[in-house]
Amino acid sequence: MKDKLRILVLDDEPIVCKRLKPALEKLGYEVDTFTQSVEAMHQIHQTSYDIVITDLKMKEIDGMRFLDEVKKQHPKTEVIVITGFATMETAKQSFRKGVFDFIAKPFKLSEIQEVVTRAAAKFKGASG
Amino acid sequence: MLQYLHNLWSRIVKPKPDLVAFPEIFEHFQGLLQDHQRVMELIADLGEKSGGEYIFDRKYLVDTTEQIQTLLLHMAQGLNLIASNRYLEIYSSLDRIFIPMETELRGRLSLSREMPLVVSLKEAPLDHPELTGGKANNLAVIIQNLQLPVPSGFVITTRAYRLFLEHNHLEERIHGWLESWVAGEKEERQTSRQIQYSILAGVVPQEAASEIRRQAEKSGAYLAIRSSAYGEDGELTFAGLHESLLNVPPRGVLQAYKMVLASLYSPEALIYRQQMGMLGEEAAMAVLAQEMVSSKASGLVHTLDVTGREPDCLVLYASWGLGRTVVEGRAPVDRYVVERDYPHRLRCQEIASKETLVRAQSGGGEEEVEVPPAEREAAALSEEAIYQLARWALTLERYFKRPQEIEWALDQNGACLILQSRGLQLPKSATPPKEDICETCAQYRVLIRDVGVVAHAGVGAGTVAHVASDAEMNGFPEGAVLVTKYTAPWLARIVPKAAAIIAERGSAAGHLATIAREFRVPTLVGVERATETLKAGVKVTVDTKQRIVYEGRVKELLQYELVQSMAFEDAPEFRLLRRLLTRIAPLHLIDPNAPDFTPEGCRSVHDVIRFVHEKAVEQLMDLPRFVKRFKGVQIFTLVSDVPLGLKILDLGGGIDPEAKGNRLYPEQIRSLPMKALWEGLSGPGVWSTEPIPVDFKGMMSSLTKTWAETPGATTISGFNLAVISDIYLNLHLRLGYHFNLVDARIDPDPQRNHIYFRFVGGVTDLTRRSRRAQLLAKILSQYHFKVDTKGDLVVAKVLHLPQEDMVHRLRVLGRLIGFTRQLDIQLRSDEDVPEFVEAFLQQNSPEREDAPA
Repeated sequence: MKDKLRILVLDDEPIVCKRLKPALEKLGYEVDTFTQSVEAMHQIHQTSYDIVITDLKMKEIDGMRFLDEVKKQHPKTEVIVITGFATMETAKQSFRKGVFDFIAKPFKLSEIQEVVTRAAAKFKGASG
Repeated sequence: MLQYLHNLWSRIVKPKPDLVAFPEIFEHFQGLLQDHQRVMELIADLGEKSGGEYIFDRKYLVDTTEQIQTLLLHMAQGLNLIASNRYLEIYSSLDRIFIPMETELRGRLSLSREMPLVVSLKEAPLDHPELTGGKANNLAVIIQNLQLPVPSGFVITTRAYRLFLEHNHLEERIHGWLESWVAGEKEERQTSRQIQYSILAGVVPQEAASEIRRQAEKSGAYLAIRSSAYGEDGELTFAGLHESLLNVPPRGVLQAYKMVLASLYSPEALIYRQQMGMLGEEAAMAVLAQEMVSSKASGLVHTLDVTGREPDCLVLYASWGLGRTVVEGRAPVDRYVVERDYPHRLRCQEIASKETLVRAQSGGGEEEVEVPPAEREAAALSEEAIYQLARWALTLERYFKRPQEIEWALDQNGACLILQSRGLQLPKSATPPKEDICETCAQYRVLIRDVGVVAHAGVGAGTVAHVASDAEMNGFPEGAVLVTKYTAPWLARIVPKAAAIIAERGSAAGHLATIAREFRVPTLVGVERATETLKAGVKVTVDTKQRIVYEGRVKELLQYELVQSMAFEDAPEFRLLRRLLTRIAPLHLIDPNAPDFTPEGCRSVHDVIRFVHEKAVEQLMDLPRFVKRFKGVQIFTLVSDVPLGLKILDLGGGIDPEAKGNRLYPEQIRSLPMKALWEGLSGPGVWSTEPIPVDFKGMMSSLTKTWAETPGATTISGFNLAVISDIYLNLHLRLGYHFNLVDARIDPDPQRNHIYFRFVGGVTDLTRRSRRAQLLAKILSQYHFKVDTKGDLVVAKVLHLPQEDMVHRLRVLGRLIGFTRQLDIQLRSDEDVPEFVEAFLQQNSPEREDAPA
């Protein structure tokens, strides 16, 4: 159980959470998923996560505010943003800073696994 | 919307009786080819998404459907421009295909009039549990996809239920009663009685009632009438809460139907739905009517031991007579524990002393009687039946991806039948402790990692079996892992038996991948050297989600997958995608000369594309117009020893730019597909010019035959034409009395590649011509073409192979066109066919050129 990185996934489409959890657990991460941004917001004030994966467009709190809050709470956390293909460019422009990487929907499981692996390496490098 | 555009369109563009000029035609034809390509790519994308490797949401489905619609509209316009508005009906076809898809995307299809009130299990649309209910949807899948024996029957859908409520003005009344119960104004017994009484007093609307009677009388058998509520047998279990009526005579079906509907509002069901927080949701009940099996024995299979004591075993429960004894736990029953691993050894059995049994009563209903003393202590199941049920149970679990609880029956002749299959609810104690799946898997040796493309995501384990030829397929063991060099269409037959598939070649959009997804078999394609790395007989576990193959059986991983909250295949987004795909992907219009090759005959997006393409090509080839139309356009005549009189029209990049005059030499061909085909056709010894000895029967037939009898004679007569570009070939070739059509595209990107081949006609009688068609089919399938034959017609296609494989196949096709030229005369009997197939394959080994070195 030592050295397990913790990942939070936030996406209001339940299918994204349901599929990402096992895919990342198999890579050896501890994964919590949220479909309600309010709950996720509450959670990041309780616990620190090493990697956060979040959708951009959500009902209550949008991804940008969530991301700011994550970075404020835990500056070392690596954030991966999921966004629709159409909004990719705008997304990249508006928050080039502070985001580890962007992934356009629809995406392959292997794509996100690869990005997470890189993010994990960076996180470990930074904290080790 | 399409209809509107169409009207607008016809107002703008007045039908032109005159011919459209060549440059315009040329431009539209090019545009059509591009749109065609783009739509096929989008369809392939959608197909790939259904394999589970991608994460997508509903918006992706909406966007893609819209893109496809726009492209098709564009194609319809293009065709009508080329064909002077001759095919305006194609716009109605587009409406017919896309309007239900829009309804589907808005999630309202189950209410639409397109959906049946009553439908047989054999024909029930799959992936519509909100129409047919969970139980019936599963049975329809078991019958239609898995082809296991299930008593035949029909479903009275949720649409019929809604119609019933509407007809009897019940909806608001029920709602009112429920509200006052929730508000505590009434107790549940009273509420239940009120609702049930009004349902039983209701009248089944005529249009539903006559359909129900028709279906019930069709079989004439006594029926078992059961609930199939939406959500039942899914994540929530309503097991036993709703009524089941056994042994109902056909005339009693309507009454039984109402009784089952009423059971949706029994006090127990009301309390259960309230506890589950489902009371606010609209309850909808489909009802299933199946032929009654007067069973000798019946019972359950659990694919996992719910006590958790035998984690690698299935458990069967059995007793004499009808299933109530076991399902309702009325009395002690037999218990058999069988190993999940092949060969499914019987680990232990406990035979109960069975005192009573339930059986069908003559005239309807059931009765409980004593078991004859001689049978009381006897096992209700033979070893053979145990083995068969165990295998079926594992097939069902492999398909549904969750531990299953299966009801089965043994009829009076001892044949096993599946009555239903639903997710098995595991008590907490039976779920294995949550382990660190990553650490556990790390202890197993990895044979393959991060190689290949995911065609269907999932985990499967079994013994490796190699299949390289048709003949080896019969020996393929149930539940083995199929490892193969190719993804040939003939492998389709064993896909449902495989626990997982690994292919060295192929793409996620290919034929095998499509079949694998249909049967939910975890599949990796493009895994180089897989047949070397994975030796036959070795046990492996394949996790295509992670693209890892482990040595041995990784029990922990298999368990981990089985207890996940939901199989991705059952997620609403995936169901929706599959439903859209049934209106998009299948190709029904195979033969351009068939009577239904019309706009009205188009049933899917693929059909429309095919139709538009064929008609556009036909327009180009229309001889009387052709001569006028192509006045001033450069048409080349190919100069060669092979006497074909072939004319060539180059759309761009197909010939040496230096070519002068109107004569073209084979070495001046630059078109990749044309070049390959020509190499085959003109190769040494292919174009045998020796006269073939004709026997008497063949001679008589050829003498009496007239030109007009030959199919396709009206399409083109007089000369042979190839329309080419650097990567495209469309060839119409008439050789004597038979007719070849080749349409091919060879691009560096395999996803864009295709070869369509159509062959029809001949000089002899239909029997001999059909023999030649059989021969062609046999040879082509060796080269992994998907082949359909009908009489003397052969339609073959191969898709998405890499450039070099496509080139090889076109060369072979060229040789084959030469080889079979006069074969119908030589094929005197059916016995001659294998000999000629062998002769061709000896000279042109399917393995010779494209097998990996």
